Amino acid sequence: MPDTHFYHYDKYDRTLLSERVEQFRDQVRRRLAGELTEEQFKPLRLTNGLYLQLHAYMLRIAIPYGTLSSRQLRQLAAIARKYDKGYGHFTTRQNLQLNWIRLEDAPDAVAMLAEVDMHSIQTSGNVVRNTTADHFAGAAADEIEDPRVWCEIVRQWSTLHPEFSFLPRKFKIAITGSPNDRAAVRIHDVGLRLWRNEQGETGFEVIVGGGLGRTPMIGKTVRAFLPKDEMLAYLEAVLRVYNRYGRRDNLFKARIKILVHEIGIEKMREEVEAEYAAIKDSALKLDPQTIEAIAAHFAPPPLPHRPAISGEVERLKLEEPDFALWLKSNTAPHKLAGYRIVTASLKPAGAPPGDASSVQMEGVADIADAYSQSEVRVSHEQNLVLPHVAVEDLPAVYRALAGLGFAEANVGKITDIIACPGLDYCALANARSIPVAQRISNHFANLARQHDIGDLKVKISGCINACGHHHVGHIGILGVDKNGVELYQISLGGDVDFGKTALGDIIGPAVAADRIVEAVDALVRTYLDRREEGERFVDAYRRIGVEPFKESVYAAV
Amino acid sequence: MAKNLSGDLTVASANRLADGVVVFLDDKGHWTRHLEQAALARDKRASELLLARARAESFSVVDPFLVAVAEDEQGDLEPISLREKIRVSGLTFEAIAADAVRYA
Repeated sequence: MPDTHFYHYDKYDRTLLSERVEQFRDQVRRRLAGELTEEQFKPLRLTNGLYLQLHAYMLRIAIPYGTLSSRQLRQLAAIARKYDKGYGHFTTRQNLQLNWIRLEDAPDAVAMLAEVDMHSIQTSGNVVRNTTADHFAGAAADEIEDPRVWCEIVRQWSTLHPEFSFLPRKFKIAITGSPNDRAAVRIHDVGLRLWRNEQGETGFEVIVGGGLGRTPMIGKTVRAFLPKDEMLAYLEAVLRVYNRYGRRDNLFKARIKILVHEIGIEKMREEVEAEYAAIKDSALKLDPQTIEAIAAHFAPPPLPHRPAISGEVERLKLEEPDFALWLKSNTAPHKLAGYRIVTASLKPAGAPPGDASSVQMEGVADIADAYSQSEVRVSHEQNLVLPHVAVEDLPAVYRALAGLGFAEANVGKITDIIACPGLDYCALANARSIPVAQRISNHFANLARQHDIGDLKVKISGCINACGHHHVGHIGILGVDKNGVELYQISLGGDVDFGKTALGDIIGPAVAADRIVEAVDALVRTYLDRREEGERFVDAYRRIGVEPFKESVYAAV
Repeated sequence: MAKNLSGDLTVASANRLADGVVVFLDDKGHWTRHLEQAALARDKRASELLLARARAESFSVVDPFLVAVAEDEQGDLEPISLREKIRVSGLTFEAIAADAVRYA
């Protein structure tokens, strides 16, 4: 199936990429020949998303706003097979990391990315990173507008933007077009939330200064309603203020969240609005033709009318309990009644969260071709999404995903764990994340029990940089190193739901690695004992507070 | 990469330039994948010399540094920190690559 409803690079994009690939090829050649020192080469490879981790180089590939065509996913699978160990890791920034790339192969790998309009540029460094979006964009029943149109505009503006190529620190933007925030916009440097005002106009709430890491902050609203055509000028104003006043003297205080915290949101607003007033009528103001031209790339795929109810689905719901659970947790309402959005869980019991082999990626691409208009999305919760599946096709999609190991009915449940790569891969980590996730996943593998426990988000980071979003987990787990021993700090009550965004509270001393499953089990038992009808874990925590949970954890470990 | 450590027993390690593989400097000044072949420094002065030698031999590797190790009665070496143990022995779980076979 041709991927006609995706953004396709134009001649300008392709020229830029092919020139960049050749530049990188020459840089790698010179490094291998000894003509460049590591000190000279490191910023060049990082600009192209190539890190050096514990055991090997890692290539971080940008997946713009988490949208992939089946063709692109197949190419990622092919790159992983040819130049890596046949698998990749989908990240909380909707990117893909290949963990075993050889430096000498890296230029060929990025050349293969360019063949399908992809790259790894600006996935590292103090620049505007890949803009993330709601993974249900363009399909969700609750959506006001497709946020990817605006993400693409941001991508074009921010790619190799000369003024913002040396920011005080990295800069992450997320955009949602739905009232139910699936893009976690309040924990980004800038979050944009599309909403409709009383006059019926849509525009952005601009949120600034959110972020996790060493100093977690929830973003604050700098502009409640911004007309859409003013988005770029306003973003430019925010970036200029940050570029001018953001701290460069201390790595740990360099993110925009620290600037907003130090000067206050009122002063930040004053500065941004002053800058904005000076540039708002410049070339950055988006004309309707430009917006329409980009929006045309995201026109909804031609979805034929399909029945909203399927006899086969109803029959299977009765006959196969796991299918019934899967329908509940792994499918979501589509804007058209005859369709559902399907999440392929990359969290089968005991598997490394977010990992997929080349065979599995190709399998998902095949399913997307057959049943989802060749579209796949990557979620920040490290799953893959098939956005346009007809209700009648759900049994076939379920079986096909089960054949890949991706039909675990656990989306949003306790085993749908977010975990960073941790100390097994990452040079920054203090403790392992993936093995902890695997043990929790195995312990709670029973699907009926998971569904009884209900929605419960467990998020694990192997260090304070918080790539595993532990601060906003209902149960957050942070690995720390104390005198060479891995310990895990537990926090409760974090959330990214819109209007409820909260940072978790640390419950007490960190627990030993071999007691973490017992600790989580104690938290779950406390919740099950104390919950009220229909109450989620995090809501019960908010009602009864930390003490009962704390007591049960420290009695268990 | 990890900070240089000063301990009683150290070896010099780095990542190989071409592919990032973990390597150790041996007594002949070659980089080897095998910890048991690594040159061992037994005191602070020897560690300093080992690091200087590693840096001098760093054409084919990236950022040499010292790794604190313990030596058992048989003379076998083991890094002291978990990070370095993982660098030597690899992932502590089975990577999904195995599933490429299972789901083929």
